[in-house]
Amino acid sequence: MNKNWRWLPAGIVPAVIVAASVSGSAVAEAQPQLPAKTAQELLEFIATSADDAYSGTLEQTSELGLPDIGMATPPGGRAGDDPTSTALELLTADHTARVYIDGPDNARVQVLDELAQRDVVVNRDNAWTYDSATNEVTHAVLPDKESVQAEAEAKLQEKIAEYPELQDVPRPPAELARLFLARIDPSTEVTVGANSRVAGRSAYELRLEPTDPGTLIGSVAMAIDSETGVPLSMTVQAKGQDVPAFETAFTSVDFTAPDAALFDFTPPPGATVTEIPTKDELEATLDARSGAEHAPPAGTPTDGHAEPEVIGTGWSTIVELPAGTATGLGLPSGQDAPGMSDIMDIKPGMDPADVAGAQALLEQALTEVDGGRALQTSLVSVLITDDGRILVGAVSTEELVAASRT
Amino acid sequence: MSSDGLAIETRGLTKVFGSQKAVNGIDLAVPRGSVFGFLGPNGSGKTTTIRMLLGLASASSGEIRLLDGVMPRDARGVLPRVGALVEGPAIYPFLSGRANLPRLDAADRPPPPPPRSTRVDAALERVGLGHAATKRAAAYSLGMKQRLGIANALLAPRDLLILDEPTNGLDPQGTREVRGLIRSLSEDGTTVFVSSHLLAEVEQMCSRIAVMSAGRLVAQGTLDELRSEGTARVRVTTPDIDDASRVLARLGLPPQVHGRDDTITAELVVEGLLPETVNAALVQDGVRVRGFEVSGASLEDRFVALTGEGFDVAG
Amino acid sequence: MPAESAQDRPIGSGGSLGLTLVLSEIAVLFRRLRTWAMIGALALIPILIAVVVRVSSDGSASGRGPAFLDSITQNGLFVSLTALTVAIPLFLPLTIGVVAGDTIAGEANLGTLRYLLIAPAGRIRLLLVKYAGAALFCLVATLTVVVTGAIIGALLFPVGPVTLLSGDTVGIVGYFLRLLLLALYVTVSLLGLSAIGLFISTLTTVPVGAMAATAALAAVAQILGALPQLEWLHPWLFTNYWLGFADLLREPIAWTSFADNALLQLGYIAVFGTLAYGRFSTKDVLS
Repeated sequence: MNKNWRWLPAGIVPAVIVAASVSGSAVAEAQPQLPAKTAQELLEFIATSADDAYSGTLEQTSELGLPDIGMATPPGGRAGDDPTSTALELLTADHTARVYIDGPDNARVQVLDELAQRDVVVNRDNAWTYDSATNEVTHAVLPDKESVQAEAEAKLQEKIAEYPELQDVPRPPAELARLFLARIDPSTEVTVGANSRVAGRSAYELRLEPTDPGTLIGSVAMAIDSETGVPLSMTVQAKGQDVPAFETAFTSVDFTAPDAALFDFTPPPGATVTEIPTKDELEATLDARSGAEHAPPAGTPTDGHAEPEVIGTGWSTIVELPAGTATGLGLPSGQDAPGMSDIMDIKPGMDPADVAGAQALLEQALTEVDGGRALQTSLVSVLITDDGRILVGAVSTEELVAASRT
Repeated sequence: MSSDGLAIETRGLTKVFGSQKAVNGIDLAVPRGSVFGFLGPNGSGKTTTIRMLLGLASASSGEIRLLDGVMPRDARGVLPRVGALVEGPAIYPFLSGRANLPRLDAADRPPPPPPRSTRVDAALERVGLGHAATKRAAAYSLGMKQRLGIANALLAPRDLLILDEPTNGLDPQGTREVRGLIRSLSEDGTTVFVSSHLLAEVEQMCSRIAVMSAGRLVAQGTLDELRSEGTARVRVTTPDIDDASRVLARLGLPPQVHGRDDTITAELVVEGLLPETVNAALVQDGVRVRGFEVSGASLEDRFVALTGEGFDVAG
Repeated sequence: MPAESAQDRPIGSGGSLGLTLVLSEIAVLFRRLRTWAMIGALALIPILIAVVVRVSSDGSASGRGPAFLDSITQNGLFVSLTALTVAIPLFLPLTIGVVAGDTIAGEANLGTLRYLLIAPAGRIRLLLVKYAGAALFCLVATLTVVVTGAIIGALLFPVGPVTLLSGDTVGIVGYFLRLLLLALYVTVSLLGLSAIGLFISTLTTVPVGAMAATAALAAVAQILGALPQLEWLHPWLFTNYWLGFADLLREPIAWTSFADNALLQLGYIAVFGTLAYGRFSTKDVLS
């Protein structure tokens, strides 16, 4: 009897496991046969999906060329709770989110963190956010049904300074697709790519390629479900980079209406609830304040004299936030920058280790350039000029510097 | 019963550890119903042989038949009929003596008919541990542990008992009890295979023996066969050692001078040479013989002659 | 005692499936003082957490410390969760390491392994029985933390409907059902480590070495899991889903991690089970 036969199972089992995992991914790559559609037909197909009801799990990965915040994150926890760290974490770390959509009115997005979760619930007139780690709820009343989409978008933009984390909540591909499609103009080449399978469904691919040489964006590709027209994935490729700079895709999707109870949200007992005032309320407050001694804080987006300026068009559009914005956000303005602690918005009770870690990351990421300090990622650049302006665009730092001089 | 009537049979059984042959091509034949002594100094390969017999260690080469089966292939069918004590008893020190036995009995399948507790109690009584059954086994003396180990071997009716140094750690009273136990088991028809490094023990209990030395089986047979294989020896006491030595050498008997300077011995290795002829030759040559003694072959002599050493641990 | 009776054993009567040996294994495991010392130490985790929070409670949530810690003062039922979060990275793997590392090496060290084998227990059967014992200990250890946490939490703090990670609220019954699921999840999480421990245990006759090696591997896997540079490796680490039990506290329950975890652990059981078989099936038992 050959004694070595006893090792046979120990050899076969790993081989089977490897074979199973390899063949599993090979099946996913098989290219489905679908009736041909033009780019225009695909765009219209997407438009028909706005009323669809579905749910699914999203995976978001990004490779922006930023230092990974994971190293500064304590195991089992998240980066510090300050907005800067949260934003950095959302940008550089990978996320899993569950999405529940029922037409344009009802949506729920759950970002699944380790031992925690962040929720955004939109239910006709109400929008809620909930963070389990801090047990904090924000609530906004949406003005009216028709402009829910636009208003929510505007709200998000408005409140970015106050709640930067809102900006970075992973959004369903449908919404992101609309955002990109809105930018289609002669500077974009729209083509139909190879069919693929996403989340077990066959999908068309719509590719947008900027012809503008100034932008950092190489291409944007969307997988569109062949039956419903719902975008299933979006991949943003940066110029000169092999791995996608940003990718969000459903790993599973289910085209049945989600449980309506998911769109009801009641703040849990003991949670801190912050009401976000409606536009009318906000204006009323500001009117009242303008008569008072204290001026509204500089840099508040609704502040009349602080409108952002848009330079250029298309993919290489640069947004310039005027002087004072940086200080208003707690960012250093050039030589006046006294130290990184000003950037960090350090709150009492924060873990000093977290603060130090995030600070070091920012120090690492910001580089001195002519006329200010810049942050360059593979997709977006940010320039903080010495006189306190902030320029942002999907272009190189040099372009931002040039734009800051005009 | 198999046709050859052997309870244990090995052919060319060999175990190699690295470059050392711990057991070197041994051919054991243990008849059924016998009490078989497996004799040899410590380190001569007895325990390794027993491990191979029981399937604990695999043989490097050779074959083993145990009862009606081939080991280790038929271990599942054969081993329930074999009780064994291998290299001392092993106990769960945190369990009581009584709780130790069902643990090992549970490993046997299917369990024999009488209820487990009945068999456990019977086995404990049989080795004289009834009074200490509920005591934690950690508190047992070496002798009590040894008894517990033997009780484990007796938990079920067995066709074959393999007992490795069963009297180890026992006082003379305990040794006598074990001897009596083995005798009574043998009378019931059980084959008993006892290993020991003590000649006296084997001599008192066994009808057949095998002798191991440095991994080899150097002798095997009944006690009488082994004794008769030995040669008689003359022992001469005389002040004329040198003369005596010369005479013995002339007769073809290699003389051996021992510590005392007035004694000389020689084995009667020459066929047909009688002791009285030797004595006459000595006297004729003027050797003053004070004492002349003829001793038959003792097993001890055979043992020493076969193993080339005393009872010390083999180097 | 006639010798013939030894040959007349009824074949296939009770116990041939190994149930007797499994029961015996469980009895031996839970009759050891050491086992109870470990269970006691595990029970101490939620007790310590609850008592410290109760004594030092000033009503303010700091937002630091282990997950769910801040929620304890509002709802004692969170003690179980906090204790599990604390126990999973270190204490649970440590106790599992002791039990799994002891399986074969411990018997070899006592010398009882040879008597089990000549009984005969059967080598494969013995491996299975030993693994079953270790798996049961995983469940008992996890339940100890969860149940002690629930009891001490209910004694020291108010108890009420529980807020899930998604902000939804469940009643006490629903919460206990989830806690049971959670205990099951954590038990399953530890099965891979138990299989590793079983394999290591077949390599040596020194149980302490096998225990230390098993516990150390759990630590190493967690360190590797914390290094973002090794992201490609993470899905293959047996510790990868250890803290994924929180997915059972979402509404709706995210079953994917439960399934992924079970599949991963099954893979580890298969790989290390067959390795243990390869090692142990013909190993010379010389102790």
